[in-house]
Amino acid sequence: MTRSMVERTPGWVYALYLAIALAGLGVPLSLAGEGFVRWLAQTRSIATFDVTLQVLAGGILQGGLYAVIAMGLTMIFGVMRIINVAHGEFLMMGAYAAFIFFMWLLPRELHSLFTLNIGMAILGVGVFLLLCLPLMFLFGMGVQRLVLNPVVGGPELTPLLITFGLSLILINASISIFSSDFRAIPYLSGALVVGPLALGYPQVVSFIVSAAITGSVFAFLKFSRLGKAVRATAQNAEVALVCGINVERIYLYTFGLGAALAATGGVLTSIQLPFFPEIGAIYILRSFAIIILGGRGNYLGALVGGIILGVIEGLISFFIPMGSRLQELAAYTLMVLLLLVRPRGLLGGIADE
Amino acid sequence: MRAEGTVDDAGILDLQALTKHFGGVVAVNQCSFRVPRNIIAGLIGPNGSGKTTLFNLLTGILPADGGDYFYKGEPMLGLRPHEICRRGISRTFQIIRVFREMTALENLVAVSRDRNIADVRRRALELLDFVTLLPLKDEYAGNLSYGQQKLLEFARALMSAPDVLLLDEPAAGVNRTLLTTLLDRMHELRAQGKTIVIVEHDMQVVMNHCEKIFVLDHGELIAEGVPGEIQGNARVIEAYFGR
Amino acid sequence: MSNRTLQDSVRPAALPLGGKLPARQRTLQLAAMGGALLLLLLWPAMTNIYRISFVFFLLQYVVLASSWNIISGFTGYVSFGHVAFFGIGSYTTAILVAKHGWPWYLTLPLAGLLPVAWAAFIGYPCLRLKGPYFAISMMGLNEALRVVALVWESLTGGGFGITMPNVENSLETYYAGLAVAALTVAMCYAIAHSRFGLRLAAIREDETAAEAMGINTTAHKMYAFMLSAFWPGVIGGIVAYKLLYIEPDSTFFIIITVNMITMAMLGGKGTVLGPVIGTAILYTAQELVWWHLPWLHLIAYGAFIILIVLFMPRGIMGFLIDRGWVAKGVIQ
Repeated sequence: MTRSMVERTPGWVYALYLAIALAGLGVPLSLAGEGFVRWLAQTRSIATFDVTLQVLAGGILQGGLYAVIAMGLTMIFGVMRIINVAHGEFLMMGAYAAFIFFMWLLPRELHSLFTLNIGMAILGVGVFLLLCLPLMFLFGMGVQRLVLNPVVGGPELTPLLITFGLSLILINASISIFSSDFRAIPYLSGALVVGPLALGYPQVVSFIVSAAITGSVFAFLKFSRLGKAVRATAQNAEVALVCGINVERIYLYTFGLGAALAATGGVLTSIQLPFFPEIGAIYILRSFAIIILGGRGNYLGALVGGIILGVIEGLISFFIPMGSRLQELAAYTLMVLLLLVRPRGLLGGIADE
Repeated sequence: MRAEGTVDDAGILDLQALTKHFGGVVAVNQCSFRVPRNIIAGLIGPNGSGKTTLFNLLTGILPADGGDYFYKGEPMLGLRPHEICRRGISRTFQIIRVFREMTALENLVAVSRDRNIADVRRRALELLDFVTLLPLKDEYAGNLSYGQQKLLEFARALMSAPDVLLLDEPAAGVNRTLLTTLLDRMHELRAQGKTIVIVEHDMQVVMNHCEKIFVLDHGELIAEGVPGEIQGNARVIEAYFGR
Repeated sequence: MSNRTLQDSVRPAALPLGGKLPARQRTLQLAAMGGALLLLLLWPAMTNIYRISFVFFLLQYVVLASSWNIISGFTGYVSFGHVAFFGIGSYTTAILVAKHGWPWYLTLPLAGLLPVAWAAFIGYPCLRLKGPYFAISMMGLNEALRVVALVWESLTGGGFGITMPNVENSLETYYAGLAVAALTVAMCYAIAHSRFGLRLAAIREDETAAEAMGINTTAHKMYAFMLSAFWPGVIGGIVAYKLLYIEPDSTFFIIITVNMITMAMLGGKGTVLGPVIGTAILYTAQELVWWHLPWLHLIAYGAFIILIVLFMPRGIMGFLIDRGWVAKGVIQ
């Protein structure tokens, strides 16, 4: 219905925005002036090949994790046209589930066993996922059945509000149970050394597991009968219904699967960083940015977008002063810019209307 | 702007090679035709032939990918829908788009740009009367029956005093009585000097009420002429029924 | 665009456009409003400082919820980042007072106008986005502003925030807040009963049709958005002065957005009195009952949002209007 921004905007508006943007950038730059020159020199000295490679590798590892999370979100959107604001909270639930498991339920000996070496670490995560994912899957199905099913097919804003309310409930339930304190899971420390690169073990474990899960999801969607039904429903729910696909059941499974994928992301996050109840907020905006970058509803796009964002964040975090705080900004600005200029994303996604 | 005294044989709507594609699909393919002033014209074609897309192009809701189109000699391509409406082209929609949470009267008043509220109100009431909906003026549009909503949308399209009215499937799903009302009103408007183009599937309506018919198939104009010519046209028959 | 609501009540015939409410109802309404206003004016004389603050912050949320309602309820563009305007206003006042010694009340016009400028700047591109994408991009932009406030230390003091010289100001801020709240509600009322408001409702109901019928939707959306940015900025300035200290996390706090959305939705988004009623109920409940369990209030809000969206999408006012207990004006 709407033309893209590019077609409808008169030229002078572009000029105006460009002028404002340049002014906005120019002011701090001119003030910084000398500081900028110093930064440039400093960057050139530290940006050796090795260092850059390290940053890139770190970004890719991180990106793999983002991809798993984004894939859940894009699946939910692709099939049901629901923007799941509570996705970050599903992630958080996964993280806390891992916390409960590794810190409270698991006897100390088994915990040390799982953190012995990288193989055992992967096994540990794998075992836990086997337990946790079905539960998250059921939880996701429950949510879909209870509060989202009544509104599928209506205005897209309604499920947005509902999942927003859900996220409030989940965050604050978590605060009430676990308190706002940061939690962490002591996991395999140390790094895998590969040539000039030092890759942290938790990051490597997370990447390997992410890759495995992503691969499985792709295989599932492409080869299994249920996966094909999911894809068919995403393309056209009405036609799928006519073809005999139980669309309501697909919605249930899809949401459950999306929730499980988010939780996977949470588990993998929990072994890398300290986390807290509101941690979902950071990941949800990143995930939005990723699925818009890669194309809404496009699974390969989620993967590609995740990696790209991971790399961009790594570069910003390392090379720009105060980068670690600014990297959040990267996701937000990227998302808004893309929505305005190329809503289809890089790989093209579900067209509007 | 046309100089006074020129012969207006270009018609009130002049389409030249209008084209629109969605990804790989060509919805409207180099469509060129002229709609003469002050007639009731029909735009027909099998499903998916691009009729509604063409309406969307003409009213600025979709950007065209090629071609040009003129209204009273003025180029219209690239204008936004509200600008096109203000110049005198108004429309109804295939799927009814009345403002459901507003009353019938509010539906009409909302779209008027006249400053004087008394004038607007009077005109709105007149139009409601014109479409026989006056008793329902304070009823929520969402509560009206399907046919009544169609009439309401019709009245709303007339608020801007357009010279050209594009009606998208006015007869669909409407009972005979309401349809008769609608068709009568259409002829009245034609008598007042307006031009009306309707997209329709109901062949009876088209053949009995349209003075000129344009036939689309796969986005292309395959025939134009008076109803008699179209009925016997082999290409048209082929388009609808296949070989 | 289908508009499936779970409850499809047959609504009573509405008030004729331009008609007046029956005399009795009008007098009742005016009397009620006059009484409320009188009570609010006399409130500081009647109670202690803590309660004065309580009503002040309640009025703050009346301003926020009502303003949010202009773009989200009347026009249908739900925004998840409205607190950005509040934040800009807060920082404007704080910076001018603390660093340039302006008297606080002189900063207020600027505290209101800068958010309007920001609204114009982001509105032009972002109002083209459809419902949920507009909502998320507003959320993203609010977070972006928070990060900018955090990082641009020379201007905003970064994480340390800005502190203003200590003064006893609860009375003056109270009355300023009351004035702003009254003006905001008056503005909403004026919009709702104007042709402008009618066109906003048309845009909300069906933007494509509205545009095809000659309404310049872009201009109208922009005006609505800019109008919805002014008073939050002003009240942001007043709040900053009252608290005498601001910092990014609490000023651009997403919970403020959550609160204003829940309050407006409970009361009835799309109505004039809705946000006022919703705020009065929820803020009071928050203070009285849930102060001891802060996380519980947000869980309840989350549940409220879900329940309202599913069962009572037009909020309390909508419920009353549907039952015929309150006559519907243009957008009551």
